[in-house]
Order: sequence, then structure tokens, then C-alpha cells
Amino acid sequence: MVKIRNLIQKHPEYLKGLKPRGMQSVIMIAFTCISVAIMLILGIMMYFRVSASSRQEIVESSKTLMKQTGENMEDYLMSMRQISDAVYYNVIKENDFSSQNGNIQRGMNLIYEANKDNLRSIAIYNNYGSLMGAEPVVLQKEDPNVIKQDWYKRAMAEMENMHFSMPHVQNLFDESMRYYWVITLSRAVELTDHGVPQMGVLLVDMDYSSISRIMKQMNTKNRGQYYYLCDGSGEIIYHTRQMQINNGISSENSEKAASYKDGVYDEVFEGEHRKVIVNTISYTGWKLVGVIPYSVFTHGMFDLRYFIVLLILLMAMMLGVISRVVSVKVSSPILKLNTSVLEYEAGKQPEIYIGGSMEIRHLGDSIQRSYEQIDSLMHKIVLEQTERRKSELDALQSQINPHFLYNALDSITWMIEGGRNDEAAFMISQLAKLFRISLSKGRTIITVEEELQHAQSYMNIQKIRYKNCFSFIQDIDPGVNSCCTVKLILQPILENAIQYGVGDMDEEDGGEIKITGRRKEGMVILSVTDNGIGMSEEEVRFLLKESNRVPSHGSGVGLLNVNKRIQLLFGKQYGLTIESEPDEGTKVSICIPAVPYTEENRKMLDAGHPFGKDSVLDQDDANRSYKGI
Amino acid sequence: MENSKKIFIVTEAILAVIVLLVSITMLREKSREKWDKVSVIIQDSDDNAWAAFKYGLRMAAQDWEIDMVVVGTGEKLTEEEEMKAIQNQIDLGADAVIVQPVPGDGMQSSLEKLQNRIPIMLVESSVAKRGIECNIPVVLPDNYAMGRALGEELQKDYNGNLKGKKLGIVSQYADSNAVTERREGLKAALDQSEIEICWEVSDISPDEKDRILESQAKADVIIALDDYSLTLVGKSASANSLYGALVYGIGNSTEAVYYLDAGFVQCLVAPDEFNMGYQSLTEAAKRVKNMFREPQSRIVSFTVIRRDTLFSEENQKILFTMSQ
Repeated sequence: MVKIRNLIQKHPEYLKGLKPRGMQSVIMIAFTCISVAIMLILGIMMYFRVSASSRQEIVESSKTLMKQTGENMEDYLMSMRQISDAVYYNVIKENDFSSQNGNIQRGMNLIYEANKDNLRSIAIYNNYGSLMGAEPVVLQKEDPNVIKQDWYKRAMAEMENMHFSMPHVQNLFDESMRYYWVITLSRAVELTDHGVPQMGVLLVDMDYSSISRIMKQMNTKNRGQYYYLCDGSGEIIYHTRQMQINNGISSENSEKAASYKDGVYDEVFEGEHRKVIVNTISYTGWKLVGVIPYSVFTHGMFDLRYFIVLLILLMAMMLGVISRVVSVKVSSPILKLNTSVLEYEAGKQPEIYIGGSMEIRHLGDSIQRSYEQIDSLMHKIVLEQTERRKSELDALQSQINPHFLYNALDSITWMIEGGRNDEAAFMISQLAKLFRISLSKGRTIITVEEELQHAQSYMNIQKIRYKNCFSFIQDIDPGVNSCCTVKLILQPILENAIQYGVGDMDEEDGGEIKITGRRKEGMVILSVTDNGIGMSEEEVRFLLKESNRVPSHGSGVGLLNVNKRIQLLFGKQYGLTIESEPDEGTKVSICIPAVPYTEENRKMLDAGHPFGKDSVLDQDDANRSYKGI
Repeated sequence: MENSKKIFIVTEAILAVIVLLVSITMLREKSREKWDKVSVIIQDSDDNAWAAFKYGLRMAAQDWEIDMVVVGTGEKLTEEEEMKAIQNQIDLGADAVIVQPVPGDGMQSSLEKLQNRIPIMLVESSVAKRGIECNIPVVLPDNYAMGRALGEELQKDYNGNLKGKKLGIVSQYADSNAVTERREGLKAALDQSEIEICWEVSDISPDEKDRILESQAKADVIIALDDYSLTLVGKSASANSLYGALVYGIGNSTEAVYYLDAGFVQCLVAPDEFNMGYQSLTEAAKRVKNMFREPQSRIVSFTVIRRDTLFSEENQKILFTMSQ
């Protein structure tokens, strides 16, 4: 993983190829990969299954063929033994060679004629190697030296058995320029000549071509596998490549095969893996050996391999088409939805696509509704921002109310002219404080203490103007001084208290305006109470309601404006509450959260972040964010 | 075009190309199963002398999966007839030709021209005279060594004392390369023996073949330099027409073996005709299956057979090939 990460860091261009792909491509690729993988697995499994059964079938068919051929050969050899028995027991034993030679010749002739298709000759030799009788009657060679021949020696050495020789040239009789290959069946016999019993050897020469014909039949139409015949010591009797083996061109593992018992064996001969099937021919001990090189199995599987590869490829093509159709069908509604969202984001404001399956319809519907809500919220935010600016403007206007300034300056002039310089200086200083706090370096948020100071300055000026016809009291808990507040929220209330409460009262009436500041349940409550003429309940309700009325008195910044400013900044749960009784007075309470005045809090509130939320964007930012630009 | 569509088209196109390639390969493999054809042109193709050679051809054809055809020919082919037979086989679609060249001055150039069109293998003897370069590969026995072996066997039988003995030499062709080399080998072996070559008979016409040897002067030893002459001499010997002459010869037919077996021939030198057939077809097959492989010339062995060793295990194998 680390290596891959390093590689990616070193070669970021590799990442270009890893761009997120379209849904359709992903579905198509995934579907195709899974399908092809399944096809491959199935194909390989099918190949191995068919291959194994094909091998088994080849081996089994070879075994069957060998069994049949072995039986044929056993029958053939049995018939040769029966011929030998017939000649011995029916002809030789029954007759004397000196007196009944005619009978012997006739008997041998009869047997020979009945079996001459498979026989080359029948001959009887006495214990000196002299020919006693032969069929067919042909000229014996000048000196065949019979007793030195292998078949004769073996018959005399083991008299109780019949002996099959290896294939050899028949070299006993003059066959007029022809040399026949024979397998000699020899046995020791007891013959009678001139009434004297003596040992001799009966020879039955089997035509080698009969054996080779059986073997050739077996070896026709084979593609690589072959069958051969060898004796118990591995000497080859018949092989399809006999002369090549004799000449050293080729070779055969016949000695090892001869040592095997009947069965199927795996062996490696001259670097070639092959299966060897061994079947023993009874009595002779000959081994019929079938050789199936592994290449035969693969050659047999050649067509199947191509077939499976073609099948996989065609299936992959077909699955590609199907996966394409499926992916288009599945992804089309999502793509349409995506396109409509993209177009919406591009500002074209189309309808969001709603179609396809239930889930996608639901998704489209949800997006549509989300966008509608966003639009609505955006609209609301725009309105709030507009109002806030308007309120701010109004507050600013209140700071420089020319009427208030004119009255204050007029009062100062009047004081100076009246020689009340100290009072004039006090008034100027209070006016200066008032404006200093009003400006507050352009900040909206100030401490409650500053706001109270501002209220005090305002009331000092107004008291002079109204000739101290009312008193002003502050009752503030020290704990509220260091809390945050929106500036200039007390001034409009005080202005109203003077204007509609205590302004018209005489000094004797004891008009009083009192500001109290308390902390209560995480809130700061600043109350302005006057003991003026008060209001009816209906008028109180009317005060904080939106209306198109234009303030006819005062600074023009009404209680409504103060209420809105507080709610815009701190939330709907805060604001003004008014309690009033006619002829009793009015109490206006400002409820704001107790937010400690820190630089961080001030900046946050100044930036317009509503109290209690992590962040609020201004109108432009909000627009950009929701359109995903 | 959208990305997924591109992927789809490219994938399908790649798969289609692979399907096409696999199909082409499959068809090629199928067509490869058709066996190549090699034609063999030898003189007197039905003669027994060719039995072992043809057996060798058959075995090689089986091993190399070659469709082998031995063209039927008469006893004596002329240069033109042989060239016509080769041309015929090429027209019939032979992929290579194995030829036993007949004696003739134009054979070398004609065969060299043909060799540019089709692989040609020669058997038995080369077409070029000794010392002349020939580009056509040939599989043959060492004719010179066989002639020399005959001479040496003769020397052995006479204990090297051949002085004053009269020798008759018989061959089918006087001017064939094989016979010429055998004769040279024979003469080299008998060079110091002071044996007198009293006659040489060759180019025997069918009409005179039964009488020609009788008409020759009495010889002590007759040497036949090919199978045709050896059977002819053997036959005369069996008819007692050779005035008791001892016969030595080169042969590769069962008739030749029979005359040895019957005692009419003293010694037989038998070339390994099986191998000649096997090797010639193997070389031709290798060339046909791989066009960049140049066929190689090969020399096959020969065996000296006497009557007493005729049925030895090794010689029986030679006899086996002759009997096929």
C-alpha cells in the first residue's frame, strides 16, 4: 500500500487513468467481467471434465480392444496347440513310422489341409534331428542342422511343455526362393519306429503373418497410440516399428513392459509421458502391450480446445451485448436524472427528471423537493438580509437624527446664552459620549455596559431638554454588564417612554423612567419602565406587529425595528415584550441571550451569524453554495 | 460518443478479431491434417529387389505421416521416360520426389533444374560422375566399399592366392555410377592379386540374358555387381551353366539370398535397402514439412553374408525386410 501511495505521489499522471467512470461503464465492465470469469471457469471446468472422461474413454477402449485381440490371439494359439495335440495323439502315437508311414502322412495332411490358412508346416524329427515326416511335402534343405536350432533344444530340454519360439525365418525346407516368417510351436513327442519307441520333436510352424495380421488390425486407425507384442523377457514379437527398432532408429521400453503385471501404468520413456496397458496372453507368457502417449490425449482434445475457446469468445461477445443493454436500461434513468441535475446546476433551471424504477423516481422526487426547499430558503434568506440591512440603515439614521441633534444643539445654545456654561459643557460631553457609542467603530455588537452608558447619555441630554420633568434610574445587576448586546436598542425605547410616557408630565407629577438589568436562565433581561400614561392592551399588541404605518413621532426608529434587529441576530425566541396599563405606565423588556462579550463572540455576531448556529452565510454566499458553483 | 459506448465497441471488436484468429488457426490445423505426398520413381518397381527398400519407404511414410506413392515402371527406363515420370508426378501434386537416376549425361542438369521447383532425393546412386559436384542430395550405400568388400571376401576364400585365376564381371549397366564405383572398389581390392579379368558383361538385353553367360569363356570366379546380374548369374549357376565358377555378388532380393542359401553363390554383399528407403523418405518428409531445411545426403550400411551366417539373428532381420 505504501509503495502504491508513493508511486501515486511520484507519478500523479497515473491517476488520470483512475478517473471515476460513468455508472453505465461500471455496470457494463462489472457485468462483463463477472460473466467472462464465470464463462472461463465453466469452460476450464468443462475442458478438464471432458478431457478426463476422454482420456478414460481412450484408455478403456484400448483395454477393450486389447482384451478382444488377446482373446483372438489366445484362440489362435490354442488352435495351434490343438493341432499339435491332434498330430501327436491321433497320428504319431497311433502309428509306427516304419510300417504305417502312409497313415501318418495322411493324418498330417488331413490336419494341415484343415488349418493351412494359419499354418506354414508340420514336421516330426527324431532324436537325431532326422526328418521323420512333414506336411506339406517339400524338399528339405541340404543340412538344416535341426538339433542345434533353438526350438528343438527347448523342446528336448523341457519335454512336458509346448514351446513357442520367437519369429524367425523358416529354414528347414526349400520354399522355392521364398523365406517365410514363422513362429514354431515345438514339443517333445514319443514316436515309434520299427516298433522301437524313441523321443522326437513335433514342430508346428505357425505363419507369422497370422499374428501380424491380428496386430495390424489392432493398429489401424490409431492416432499415436499403438500396440505391440513381446515375450516374457521383453523381446519384441510384433511391433509397428519393428525394423526401426532393429535398426536403432527407434526404441521401445519392452523389457520394462514385460515385467509389468496386467494393468494400466504411467511411465516416462525417452522424455515422453505415456500410458502403458499390459495384457498377458495365457500359456505363452507373451505380453500384449498398448502404448498411449499423452500427446494422443492432447491431440484428441485439440478440436475440443478450439471449440471451447470459440464458445467462450462468442459467449463473451453475446454477454457484452447483453451487459450493454442491461447497463443502458439500468443506468438510463439515473443518467437522465444526473443530466437534469447538471443542467439545473448550470443554471438552466429545468424540471428534475422523475422516471425509471421506483427508487429512482423517489430520488428524483426528493431532489426536486430539496431544490424547491432550497429555493424557498434562499428567498427567505434574501428577505432577511434585506430587512437586516434596512434595520441597520434605520439604526444608522437614528444615530444622526437631525431633529434630535437640532434640539440638543438648540438647548446647548440656549444654555450658553443663559450663561449656564457648566450645563452646556455637560450637555456637549454627554452628546459626545452618545455619538461615540453610536459609532462604536462601526460595530453592531457592544457590551451591555456600553449600551447602558449610551442610554444614560441620551437620558441626560433629554432630561436637560425636558427640564428635568422626570427622573431616570438604573438598577443593573453587575453580571449583565459584560454580556453582548445589539447597540442602540435602549435609545428607541427610552425615546418612546419620554415621548408617550413621561415627556408631558410636570416635575410635580414625579415622572420616572427606570432601567433594570437582570440575568435569568441564561438570558439578559433589560427592562425600561415608565410611570407615564400607559396604553391599552390593543395598542400594545399593535406596537409589535408589521404594518405600513409611518411613525408620526420620535426618531422614526420604532420598537418594531428594535425587536426585528434582536430577532435577526439572536433568533425568534428573543426580542421585546411590552406590558402596559392605562394611567399606570409601561414596561418594555428586552430579552437577549447572555453571551459573554469576547472578541470571538463579537466577531461572530458582528458577522451576522445567528446566535446558537455554527454558521450562517450571507445572501451571495448562500446562493453560490446551493447552486454548487 | 459516450465513454461506455466506446468501451463496448472496442471490446466487441477485439473479441470479434480473436474469434476470427481462432477460426483461422482452427481451419489451418484442419488443413494440416492432410498428408503431404511423396512420389518414388525407381526402375522396375515391381522387382523383388525393391522389397526392403519399399518396406523402408512405407515405414517412414507411416512415421512421418506422408502419402507415399511408388510409381509403376518397367524393367529398363530411359532418361526421357524417367524425366517424364517425374514431371507427371509433379503435375499430379507430389510435394517431393525420390528418384533412382538412370544412367545418362543429361540427368544431372535436368534434375538440378527440377530441384528448384520441388525437393528431389536420389537413391542408389548419384547422377554426377566422380569428382563432379552435385547439389542433389542422395541416399546410397557406399558402392565403392561394397565392391572392395567383394574383392576382399574373394581374397579370403583363396587365401590371397588368386594368381592366374580368371574373373568374369557382370553388371546391369556399364555406365551407371553405382556399378562404376563398385567396379572400382573391386578392382582396388584385387589390385595386387594378379587375378585376370577375362571378361566383363553389362547392358544385357532381355533376349540374350538366358544365354549370354554360357557364351562367355570359362572363368574361375564370377562377380555380379548388382542384384539383377547376381540373380542372373545365380540362375545360370543353378543350371550348371557356369562351368563350376564361384559366384560373388551384390544383391538385395530373396532370389539372391536363395542362391546363396542353395550354395550357388559364395558370398553376398547386401546393402541396407530398408534404411535407404527409410532415410530417403525421412529426408524428403523433413524437407516438405520444413521448407527451410535442406535435405542431407546419407550413406547406408551393407552386410557381407555367407551361407553359414545367413540365418544368424542379424541376417534374419535383413531377410525379413526382403520378404515384405
